Amino acid sequence: MVVQTPPPRTRFAALHGLAIADDRLARCATWLGLPSEGGKGGGGPTLALLDGPQGATEAAAWLPPITAWIEPTADDDAQPSLTLLTTRAGSVDLYVNLTTETANDLHLAGRILTALTARHPLPQDRLDDLELALHEAISNALVHGNLEVAGMKELNAAELERFSRDLVQQMANPTLSRRRLEVAVTLEPTAMAVEVADEGNGFQPTPMDCHGASGRGLNLIATVADSIELQDGGRRIRMRFAL
Amino acid sequence: MDYGIEQRDQEAAVRLRGRLTFNDHAKLRALIGEMKQNKAKRQVLDLSSLEFVDSAGIGMLLIAREEMVAAAKELVLRGAVGQVKRVLTVAQIGKIVTIED
Repeated sequence: MVVQTPPPRTRFAALHGLAIADDRLARCATWLGLPSEGGKGGGGPTLALLDGPQGATEAAAWLPPITAWIEPTADDDAQPSLTLLTTRAGSVDLYVNLTTETANDLHLAGRILTALTARHPLPQDRLDDLELALHEAISNALVHGNLEVAGMKELNAAELERFSRDLVQQMANPTLSRRRLEVAVTLEPTAMAVEVADEGNGFQPTPMDCHGASGRGLNLIATVADSIELQDGGRRIRMRFAL
Repeated sequence: MDYGIEQRDQEAAVRLRGRLTFNDHAKLRALIGEMKQNKAKRQVLDLSSLEFVDSAGIGMLLIAREEMVAAAKELVLRGAVGQVKRVLTVAQIGKIVTIED
């Protein structure tokens, strides 16, 4: 008999399934003590559960009342893991926790921007900058963090081929492609804090770590963000933006 | 990202469309191969239909430039707008590659 974790105290009013099997959604609803709804519910903050990218490709999947998107694991620890992630999701304004494969398929930065602008409209220039910063942080976490693929250091076609081959090979490794990516957004009246975390080996940033075809990502983020901070040995980046 | 190549007298015009990111590694490899093989000395990348580029996309454009230099060809980036123009400016790509409006 598996010991069950008690349902989390959470601000969520309902669960919404995005192409996840009905019985699995019902099981998660019981674990979390939340009603599961097929369509749009009463409008309270809603936690969406995914099973792969299917069902999350429509813009509506990223609009209110949904404020969190979690892809539950199918492993033995599914219940305590979902409980923990739901608690984390409840402590911020927007929360995403997906596998590497799903996050990459969804082009996650653009999705998060859809969710953000539904709450806080922004001019196009600012949207472009935020999308770039989000995309760079997320792709660093996916490519260099979870998939452990080194950036393109040399400026030649052989290095592009190496990058291309490594990326395809590592994404095909289920241990790596199931590693998780977490994005947490906290909205303040005139600013936004975004944390992006991966499950890779971390890294030690070096000043002006920009050589060859790689290494511009962090510098680009730094030009757009008001501040950036690396935590957890480089596995987590915390960025602040004025809104 | 998608692309189309139009051959003119001395120039190959390559129009890039959509979003150029790290996920486009295979397309960039193919494109660089095509640009090396065609006869034109001047390879113009028309970026006016490109909506978004990331740091890896910039890196791949720089690799394309190096490969053209190695093949005694010139690479020009033309017509960037919006986010793409801003990233090219911020990353100071104009110091390395010829950029035309």
